[in-house]
Amino acid sequence: MTKHRSFRHARARLSLNRRRFLGALGVGAATLPLIPVPESHAQDAGIRRVIYVFSPNGTIPGEWKPSGGETDFTFGEILAPLSDMKEYITVIDGLRHPNGGPGSRHAQGPHKFMAGSRLLDGGMGGGGNTSSGYGSHQTVDQRIADVIGPETPFAALELGVQNGGANVRSRMSYRDSNQPIVPEDNPYALFDRLFKDLDQDASSLERLRAERLSVIDAVSGQLSRIHDKSGRDDQIKLDAHLTGVRAIEKRLQNGFGSNCTAPTIDGTIDHDADDNYQVVSELMIDQLVMAMACDLTRVSTLMWSRATSNQIFPFLGFTDKHHELSHEPDSNNGARNKLIQINNFFAGQLRYLLGKLDEVPEGNGTMLDNTLIVWGNELGKGNSHTHHPVPIVLAGGAAGHFRMGRNLDVDDVDINRLLVSTLQYMGLEDETFGNLDSGSGGLPGLV
Amino acid sequence: MARRRSKTLHAAPLILGFGLAACTGVIGGGDDETNGPNGGTQNAEALDGVTPLRRLTALQYERSVHDLLGVEVDGHAILAADERVGPFKSNTVAPVTELNVEQYMAAAETVAQAALSDLGSLVPCDPTDIGEQSCGEAFIDDFGPRALRRPLDEDIRTEWKQVFELGLEQSFEDGIRLVIQAALQSPYFVYHVESPGADVAEDGRVPLDSYEIASRLSYFLWRTMPDRALFEAAAAGDLETPEGIREQVLRMLAADEARVAVQQFHLQWLHIDELRELAKDPERYPDFDAELLQAMVADVAAVTDYVVREGDGKLESLFTTPYTFATGRLAAFYGIEPVTGETPAVLDRERRAGLLTQPAFLAKAAHGDQSSPIHRGVIVREDFLCQTLPDPPSDVDDTPPDPDPDATTRERFAQHTEDPSCAGCHSLIDGIGFGFEAYDAVGQYRETEGDLPVDDLGEIVGADDASGTFDGAIELSAKLVDSSHSRHCVANQWFRFALGRMEGEADAPVLEGLYSSFDETHDLRELIVAIAQSDAFRTRYAGQ
Repeated sequence: MTKHRSFRHARARLSLNRRRFLGALGVGAATLPLIPVPESHAQDAGIRRVIYVFSPNGTIPGEWKPSGGETDFTFGEILAPLSDMKEYITVIDGLRHPNGGPGSRHAQGPHKFMAGSRLLDGGMGGGGNTSSGYGSHQTVDQRIADVIGPETPFAALELGVQNGGANVRSRMSYRDSNQPIVPEDNPYALFDRLFKDLDQDASSLERLRAERLSVIDAVSGQLSRIHDKSGRDDQIKLDAHLTGVRAIEKRLQNGFGSNCTAPTIDGTIDHDADDNYQVVSELMIDQLVMAMACDLTRVSTLMWSRATSNQIFPFLGFTDKHHELSHEPDSNNGARNKLIQINNFFAGQLRYLLGKLDEVPEGNGTMLDNTLIVWGNELGKGNSHTHHPVPIVLAGGAAGHFRMGRNLDVDDVDINRLLVSTLQYMGLEDETFGNLDSGSGGLPGLV
Repeated sequence: MARRRSKTLHAAPLILGFGLAACTGVIGGGDDETNGPNGGTQNAEALDGVTPLRRLTALQYERSVHDLLGVEVDGHAILAADERVGPFKSNTVAPVTELNVEQYMAAAETVAQAALSDLGSLVPCDPTDIGEQSCGEAFIDDFGPRALRRPLDEDIRTEWKQVFELGLEQSFEDGIRLVIQAALQSPYFVYHVESPGADVAEDGRVPLDSYEIASRLSYFLWRTMPDRALFEAAAAGDLETPEGIREQVLRMLAADEARVAVQQFHLQWLHIDELRELAKDPERYPDFDAELLQAMVADVAAVTDYVVREGDGKLESLFTTPYTFATGRLAAFYGIEPVTGETPAVLDRERRAGLLTQPAFLAKAAHGDQSSPIHRGVIVREDFLCQTLPDPPSDVDDTPPDPDPDATTRERFAQHTEDPSCAGCHSLIDGIGFGFEAYDAVGQYRETEGDLPVDDLGEIVGADDASGTFDGAIELSAKLVDSSHSRHCVANQWFRFALGRMEGEADAPVLEGLYSSFDETHDLRELIVAIAQSDAFRTRYAGQ
């Protein structure tokens, strides 16, 4: 049992309408918590999913790394919450964020994790002394979304927990160079986005669809006309806007969610309050799992805080700022213990995600068997800002594509190799990824 | 974009006279080649002076919705966070994503529904009188130009008629609702659309039309859509002359609507616009809490608004007169009687100056248990001297030394200037920051630190006529007023705030003009007028 579990708060909880849920599944009330099982996908083998997860400020490598051999290993204090799901976990030590490009290593980290690529030049504010622009390359989740996204209502979902302002440190996902994707970090807005329209009767839904399509027609016309008259840089922005409008349009035209029952969300909490960090994270995970269970999407990112985050975690029993703690020298045992607790908390959240996925039956097993989670970080060690090695945890069954349940050491390999492996797991044939990729192929020894 | 930036990367700071030649210490033993002596020192966004397509900020969105429809929304709750240009909010770089577009859709649907509650004041006709179809079209003609901030073109009129007619299948109200939804999602509402496709003059400039100038004025000074008088001035051609613009600027500055803009300018400049709480050591600062902090921030807003709009409008007053409207907790913090009435009190001039001795700023730029010469020095260097510092090297420990009763902050930070790997940059930062040592971690004035006397001698290096030593933040404040280098930085900041973008190469002639008149007058109101009258404001540079 991890420490944070003893700090329970009044929960805002995502749940199905009980009557419908019970009706749909025919099970007893004891099987809470409530995740809907879309009947048509319960038997649908062959779907693969991937979730990339980010947490900030590095770890304490000695406590992060398991002890023991490749298959006979024991988790240290940080990853201990994953112990009961060891057969679903592969820990990789030794990967490197490839060197190059402007910006501090904090700022570079999310983009190197997700794209193995450099940042653009620039001087946007928001970091006080940020000396770079946004990322320069599409991220791996969006590459996958381009290929398999058209099969689902949402090509991908980008979620976050208390990500802060709009700058390079708060973005892990990019459509393209200089096109960062805003993560949704408000669980109530996410709920509206995913599920609000599901609960309407057929004729209201039809009406809503017609109205929205009509408005979209008008908006698209204006966007296109301005686009055609604009200079190149502005056209990129108007194109992106049109792309967003068309994604909504397509979803409206196809309709979605007919095999999914509308869940409900209870309570209203301040999703930016430090005290609510864990609750918000779990609400995001609940909805992500439900969205995947409903096959609304098969690709997602989840960004906990942001690079250089000074988040405080009062529910862990202290109010030190995360980034400032991460700068303490190794000799500061108090800070070290707090950093272990923070990273242990994130491992606990990952365990929560695995547990939720494991509650949804699918084929002969559960959704967890057909999902890969990739958990990365902007840094290796916080106080020395290392980009080699960086901590990577793979989790989930990954449809048997990877051999899980392992404690892997790799020798100084760029993270690009791992990104390629995840692309190939999702059925893509890419051999390289990112503009700092000096090799090719997937990470040897994973499959 | 990247190509254009790199081409002009070094030009702008040179032209504008803010080059930072120092920061040449040998940094780090790490392998991060980007943090070399000259690594990343450029403010490279649109350095050529091209105006990018900008999106309304959350504040501009909520104020526009309010003025257009009388509906209150919380822009920050329903829209994603804003980017910043320098310290100022402006959405200039990232294109929207699907999520932004959905946020606009959801917000438009909510707002349109709410607007129907006062249909009578919204619709300029009675549908039972002249017919639903005719009244709907009259609504489009009346509402459309205000919503899009320009005369309505035939294409849009046709598109909105179709939208209206779909709604009319249900009811007249539904028709109106859908037109409002369409308007609030229109790119003409969401973006500052400025003469796309217009002819580019030989010098690379595109003149804006009168309605676009009206919008620039309005979003600059009021952070919202133009009012009727401004629309009428645009229609009458009054905004085509510098005199006409001056008249509008003075009218707008005098109006209450300008308060938000002037306040936001200063709060964002000091990096305290989103300050809600600050964690401070409760043992050392038992009286400090969110309520006191809010009072500090509110006082900065009130005082700066007073100086710029009601007082003499002089830079001296902003930087060196310690005005306050403090009541309650803040009055107790200062140890003064609560201020009543509409004229501010003046604090002890031996202890406080103006903007840079505001406790909200000093508390923000501090640690939980001690002052931070670094944070304070960096903000002055970057935002009051307009010089960009590189990121700290990756391999340094930037944890503050523990408070030591036997040493002053200055002594504890001595490593920065003794260690050659740190000295290059920290000689640019710490010397300024030490000047604030008479203010503790919550911005309270102090003469001793523990048992030791405060030493707040400071020094600016590498900043032209702002360089030199000074005795404390009060002298620093006066020094900044007297320096053309820092006055030009003030002009630059107002320019960024007005235009929503960084200054660039093409702006050099305009800036030179602003600098020389501001050097003469020190008058912030005149500076604002001059920016609005400038070529940079009345045209859009499209590149050459």
